[in-house]
Amino acid sequence: MFRKTTAALLMALAVAPVAQAKSASMCVFDVIGANGDVYNLMKDYALEMKGQGVDIQLKPYTDEGVALGDFQSGQCDILAATDIRIRQFNRFTGSISAVGAIPTYDDLRTVLATLAQPKAAKLMKEDGYEVLGITPAGAGYLFVNDRSIDTAGELAGKRMATLDYQKDAIHMVDYVKATVVPSDITNFAGKFNNGSVDTAYAPAFAYEALELYKGVGQDGGIVDYPLAQLTIQLVAKDDAFSDEMAQASRETVWGMYGQAMALVEKSEKNIPEKQWIRIPDKDIQGYQEMFRENRIELRDGVNGAPEVYDPKMMALLSKVRCASNPGASECTAGNRE
Amino acid sequence: MQTSIIPRFRMSGSKNRILLAFGLLAFLSGCGYNPVYQTTGAVMTGYSESEATPYVMQMSDANMACNLGNSLDPLVYSFGRVTDKPDTTGSLLQLLAANCSEAQAWEEELRYLRANYQDDVPTAKDARNAEKRWHALTAERRLKAFERAMRAYEYDPSDPEAECPFLYADQDELTYLLGLLTGLQAIINDTNSGGAAGVPKDIAPQAERAAQCVDNEKWGGIPDAIRANVWLLLPDTRPAMAPDPWRVLRHSSELGVKAGFRAAMALEVVAAETKGRDDIIADVIGRFEASEAGFDVHEDYRLVDEVGRSVVLHASDKHWTEEYGYRTPRTYFGQMSPNSAADAEVMDLDSLL
Repeated sequence: MFRKTTAALLMALAVAPVAQAKSASMCVFDVIGANGDVYNLMKDYALEMKGQGVDIQLKPYTDEGVALGDFQSGQCDILAATDIRIRQFNRFTGSISAVGAIPTYDDLRTVLATLAQPKAAKLMKEDGYEVLGITPAGAGYLFVNDRSIDTAGELAGKRMATLDYQKDAIHMVDYVKATVVPSDITNFAGKFNNGSVDTAYAPAFAYEALELYKGVGQDGGIVDYPLAQLTIQLVAKDDAFSDEMAQASRETVWGMYGQAMALVEKSEKNIPEKQWIRIPDKDIQGYQEMFRENRIELRDGVNGAPEVYDPKMMALLSKVRCASNPGASECTAGNRE
Repeated sequence: MQTSIIPRFRMSGSKNRILLAFGLLAFLSGCGYNPVYQTTGAVMTGYSESEATPYVMQMSDANMACNLGNSLDPLVYSFGRVTDKPDTTGSLLQLLAANCSEAQAWEEELRYLRANYQDDVPTAKDARNAEKRWHALTAERRLKAFERAMRAYEYDPSDPEAECPFLYADQDELTYLLGLLTGLQAIINDTNSGGAAGVPKDIAPQAERAAQCVDNEKWGGIPDAIRANVWLLLPDTRPAMAPDPWRVLRHSSELGVKAGFRAAMALEVVAAETKGRDDIIADVIGRFEASEAGFDVHEDYRLVDEVGRSVVLHASDKHWTEEYGYRTPRTYFGQMSPNSAADAEVMDLDSLL
């Protein structure tokens, strides 16, 4: 009897702190660990949250897969990782990085502001997990070792470092008839720099931090078109934070948008002007349609594409694009997303 | 008979030679004349003026520049004992040293505001006391800088009929102008110290008159900004037909941006603080940040721009600390509050829910 009561009490004690979440641990993925930009941003986040009554301890991870594993095995309450990894917990927010879906940073700002509203809270929960904030990590660009690769057609036959867990990217690489060279965040830069692949995609940040300029060399460049908007997302078990605290967390992360974008802009400015490959407007229109068709395939899982993107997010992103660029052909297309 | 005096000494042994050397030294120092010191002094002050000053003015590291003032002033100015007082360089060195002590005063001021924000009265009081001490030291240094600059150009600011000094080169104009500016700042520091330094208040009208000796446009609006500050402090000094001081300050700030050093903007923010005009403080901070886009700093006066920036940043830090308990976050410089979701356009989510 006594043992049962004790057990019940202990159970109650064990459950109570989780529900109140006065403290929480957080696994933070940052390519350069505790001295990186993401980790530094999360330190500011933790301080803001402390001001709201939650004590968050951060733990840096330079391997995103390990961070994910530790989160799944319960070693930390919150995971901060790229949205590609977050997809498995929330397909809606994990679809922000859909190919070509957010062509400008202004559009990204609208998307993230929209998702930080209390009204969006419902969309942040999925299958027992909840997204606690989204912050930009910069647009992904195509890095090439030869400037003549400046059209989608030129990619045919080229070897491209592709994240092996990013099904939509694999589909796109297949679509342009390039060759997938399976990689992860820790080794794609090395492959590009030593010439074992011809192209790779990454945010501007990687140009200096991962020394992609080595692979770009004298003959290569960076195609000035955002292939996808990479974001860092915070996810936790649904019951880790109360609804109010979860919303406060999302608004806190949104409040750090300016800080995160300043880092993104700085990385993009660090790329010398001569390294950018500008592409003509008429080509851009063609690419936009190509990406749109692929997104629809990846949303519906047709034409051999896996079912990756969330239809609601596709609809929202289409709405944002058409609000800022109402004249685009997609806005009057019969099969609007 | 053929032997000269020198061989004779040589013959008399080493003891005598040492005696002779001491005797010569005693003779020279006895007359207060040491050719080595004097030559070194001339080289040192000449070098400081022609090379070190322009070099320092081009620096963007205001902290290093102020430490240079702290450490070199006693050495350089001590040559005033053996040669002419190096007042031009001496004025700039005191000015730089004053920036160091003012930075300390600012830190204490922020500590006071933070403690105030947390309702921690003893800490707030302690910080205020420490702030006043640093302001007193700053005021003393600035008063010296002002006096040295005026003496360097033989300008007697207390004479209402004084003629404008002859300023040979741009560097002279700048030294003279910064001297005036420093005099004005000395009054403000003295007030903030609780009058501990005893800076004569009549420096303000003197600086107002003296500022008319240099070209306003060439010097990025600093001369008129000094005058407008004085008009706001002492309305009697304002000439009858003079335009509204706030308009003059704003125009001066624009000239500063054009000239490539934004010291006038710092003077505008100081005036707004003196008069408690929060609206103008916010406006100047916003304009300063906005001016960054496409701003070309004047290479020769980068330090002047940096010091101007530190004044505007401190105004922003004070506001942030007072309102939120911490100084301006890096990417928020230019705005007076943390932005919220309300700042951005949002999409209607009804159709998705």
